[in-house]
Amino acid sequence: MQPVKVYQEDRIASPAKRVWITFSANPFALAGLWSISLLLLLTLFGPMIAPFAPETQDPRALLLPPSWDPSGTVTHFLGTDDLGRDIFSRLLYGAHLTFGMALLIVITALIIGFIIGSLSGMMRGLKSSILAHLLDSLLSIPSLLMAILVVAVMGPGLENVFWAVGIALTPQFVRSIHHSVHEELQKEYVTAARLDGANSLQVFWYVIMPNVWEVVIIQTTLAISAAILDIAALGFLNLGAQAPSPEWGAMVAQGMDNLLTAPWAVTIPGLAILFSVLAINLVGDGLRSALAPIRN
Amino acid sequence: MFAYLLRRLNLFLATSLVMIGVLFYATGLFPVERTYALTGIHAPTTSQLIQIEQDYKLDKHSGWQFIAYLQQRLSGNLGISVTSHQQVAEELRSVLPASFELATMAAIIAICLGVPIGVLASQSQHKLTQNTIMAITLTGYSVPVFWLGLYLSLWFGVDLGWLPISGQINLLYEIKPITGFMLVDTLLSKSEYGMSAFKDALLHIILPAMTLAVLPFTVVVRSTRSAMMNVMDQTYIRAAEARGMHTSTIILRHALPNALIPVLKHLGLMLGSFASYAIVVEMIFSWPGVGSWLVSGIYQRDYTVIQGGILAVALLIIFLSILIEVLHTVFNPLSRKDLYATR
Amino acid sequence: MPLLDVRNLTIELDTPHGRVRALENVSLTLNAGEIHGLVGESGSGRSLLARAILGIPGPSWTITADRMMWDGNNLMAMSSKERRNLMGSDIAMIFQDPSGSLDPTQTIGRQLMPAMPKNPNIYFWKRRKYARLTAQKWLHKVGIKNPQQVMSSYAWQLSEGECQKVMIAMAVANQPRLLIADEPTSSMELSTQAQIFRLLSQLNQLQNVSILLISHELETLAQWCDHLSVLYCGQVMESGPTDDVIKQPYHPYTKALLDNMPGYSGIIGHKAIMPTLPGSAPALQHLPIGCRLGPRCPEAQKKCVYQPKLSHIKDRYFACHFPYHGDTPNDDSTA
Repeated sequence: MQPVKVYQEDRIASPAKRVWITFSANPFALAGLWSISLLLLLTLFGPMIAPFAPETQDPRALLLPPSWDPSGTVTHFLGTDDLGRDIFSRLLYGAHLTFGMALLIVITALIIGFIIGSLSGMMRGLKSSILAHLLDSLLSIPSLLMAILVVAVMGPGLENVFWAVGIALTPQFVRSIHHSVHEELQKEYVTAARLDGANSLQVFWYVIMPNVWEVVIIQTTLAISAAILDIAALGFLNLGAQAPSPEWGAMVAQGMDNLLTAPWAVTIPGLAILFSVLAINLVGDGLRSALAPIRN
Repeated sequence: MFAYLLRRLNLFLATSLVMIGVLFYATGLFPVERTYALTGIHAPTTSQLIQIEQDYKLDKHSGWQFIAYLQQRLSGNLGISVTSHQQVAEELRSVLPASFELATMAAIIAICLGVPIGVLASQSQHKLTQNTIMAITLTGYSVPVFWLGLYLSLWFGVDLGWLPISGQINLLYEIKPITGFMLVDTLLSKSEYGMSAFKDALLHIILPAMTLAVLPFTVVVRSTRSAMMNVMDQTYIRAAEARGMHTSTIILRHALPNALIPVLKHLGLMLGSFASYAIVVEMIFSWPGVGSWLVSGIYQRDYTVIQGGILAVALLIIFLSILIEVLHTVFNPLSRKDLYATR
Repeated sequence: MPLLDVRNLTIELDTPHGRVRALENVSLTLNAGEIHGLVGESGSGRSLLARAILGIPGPSWTITADRMMWDGNNLMAMSSKERRNLMGSDIAMIFQDPSGSLDPTQTIGRQLMPAMPKNPNIYFWKRRKYARLTAQKWLHKVGIKNPQQVMSSYAWQLSEGECQKVMIAMAVANQPRLLIADEPTSSMELSTQAQIFRLLSQLNQLQNVSILLISHELETLAQWCDHLSVLYCGQVMESGPTDDVIKQPYHPYTKALLDNMPGYSGIIGHKAIMPTLPGSAPALQHLPIGCRLGPRCPEAQKKCVYQPKLSHIKDRYFACHFPYHGDTPNDDSTA
């Protein structure tokens, strides 16, 4: 006979599971997550499904409006720009320049920032504050100025954007990781673990890190959206990706000449940027509110 | 308190020093002659060359060179501009006020609108109001500023024709720069067109200031909202309620002062991206400020202008962020608690 | 007529586990001029009851009651504005976290002065000074020796005891008729606790303030209160004059509480097991039906799955099907 359940069973979900439950209860955050997955797929496989090469110029279809316009055609789904290049294809090719580049930069900055931040966070005294504050001064140079400096040294180009935005983002990671590691280190449970005989490495990895991941995750989402906006802004100012490149910011800059006659050449890449940043911010927001009860 | 201020001053000096060091190192990497990168003189005569070598100690060890560089830069010698052959310091002085004017205007708009809306969002019981405000701010936070600026100028400037879309003032007005702030200068000017010039300057600043205000506005709204929600849960708010105070009094007297402290901190952290945005906005609206000056400097490979501009802006940001931190301590008696405990 | 008369107050909370009855059919009668003790474990809904009486409910609360009378006026029928006015003047409350109940960014004086009673006969330019003087007077009355210094300090510069005294000064300055003290001495030293209780008892005698004293320590309550109410898991177990309740508890829970106190049940043998109830208080989402003490009660029988009505003998009230006394109770519903 099945035992009668007097009390309902109350499983306590693991923290990760609880975060997921709260996160997935928020439809906006979930929509953001789906959009990011879509963007990732497009970043990886976009060039394969693009109907045209990004540089293919079609002289018979200059400044063609998008297909829903009466004078648009379905072959050029989102219309063409002043050189007859298919905007849809350029967007797909641009995804891995703007979005993929942003991810790459953030991952690099994250790794470097994580190493420096956790080292300086675990250390005490002068060494720690030199490591932490050295990069604080870099933090005070806005990312665009940093980019200008890098461009002045190396000349414009997409690779230099990598360095410029990366140098601007790394200190943020260092700072937030340093602060949270340092803060956790002051707490009693760390002392308790030390009294149990844990060495520094164990304290760091098994005791402190589980409480710092949240900060890292949130900082990463913030950094990705900042990176996309920076890459696009540099492309727009002609300091990053150069003219024929289908980078989204550069596409806006290239469409600017015909802003009045062909606004779609500016609108569509702009919307693409807005869409991807919005998706990331939605996910970041959802994560933050899902993590909030655990952090407090 | 004094020791604290001293520590902050120390931090300011150290950070600035590192920053100038970075700049010095970058100057060495510029793909041109060292003398040219340092002074902006393209083909120096022999006497000039000797002078430059003396000023920047180019014959000595790089440590000495850095000290000499520091001396030159801090004494106001930023070299001459390659394109205009004017002192960079002079040019900087003429473009800085315009940027200040724009930034102040944007900050005022952001704070005056952002704080009340943030409070409203935190107090509203309606799911719809809350969601709308959050959706708007999240979009504002995500929108690429150059694109937004383009569209605002397209709508308000071209389609509707309400507002001018470029420059600081109509070129027909001749305003003598007194303070450098166009809005103040037009009011101060004795010309009979002073008033209409002021109106014109005001119309010119609206679009760029609105565009620039979007980022700080969203940050202010969001951080005010979360801080207010946090504060309203505290015991002292309930204690104030139990004393029979009215909700509006509680918000104004107890909740808002406590909530604005973290908002101030967020504003300080935002300075860097605010400056980046300002550069782009100045470019789009041809605002004669540091940003457009710098960007045109990079287009023309004007190395002295780049150095001078970055130096000025970065120093300003370091100073402002430390100032905000100090203000944060002054306005927040709680952060003095640590100082109190260590006394 | 009692000052405060609450009948069958029920508070339901919306939690992620669904709607939970945190407080079920609680009745409480408080006469003018008495100190009424409310004892219960943490989580038994004492603070909820206090906040419901005062009228500062949380956002997800649903409050229903058969009757909630304040001095002959129906509290349930009042608008929130009227209740706010009542809070300032007639009912005051002090909280269990005194340093947290003070705004950390303002000095004590700046918070104390607006809470002082306003005297309309004084010109407005003199009001500030008047308020400061009254504030100092009240601080002095609650036993703070250096009022001026305290007025210019921040909450975190004072000890918990001093903060609580400030809160009491703030609460009693408007001469309320009821003071709700929600665990006023938690996390304080014994000597400070004694000071606070002595102060409250003085206020009760000199200013004729009725006090609803909430605590989990039966001993202290027994020492200071005229009446006791025992709360368990959001239900009233027993209520009555302190001395009678202590001398002969009717309810198994009260008896268990008293047995827990070594002082009241004679000498305990060497290595004897301390008398406690088996198990622990259930979580809010797992409340048993009927009498909530049921699963832990030594006297529990089949009947206990129905919630017992509050019955009374003379001025003793209790909710139990099998109380510790021989008389047949009068059912309260007929009283």
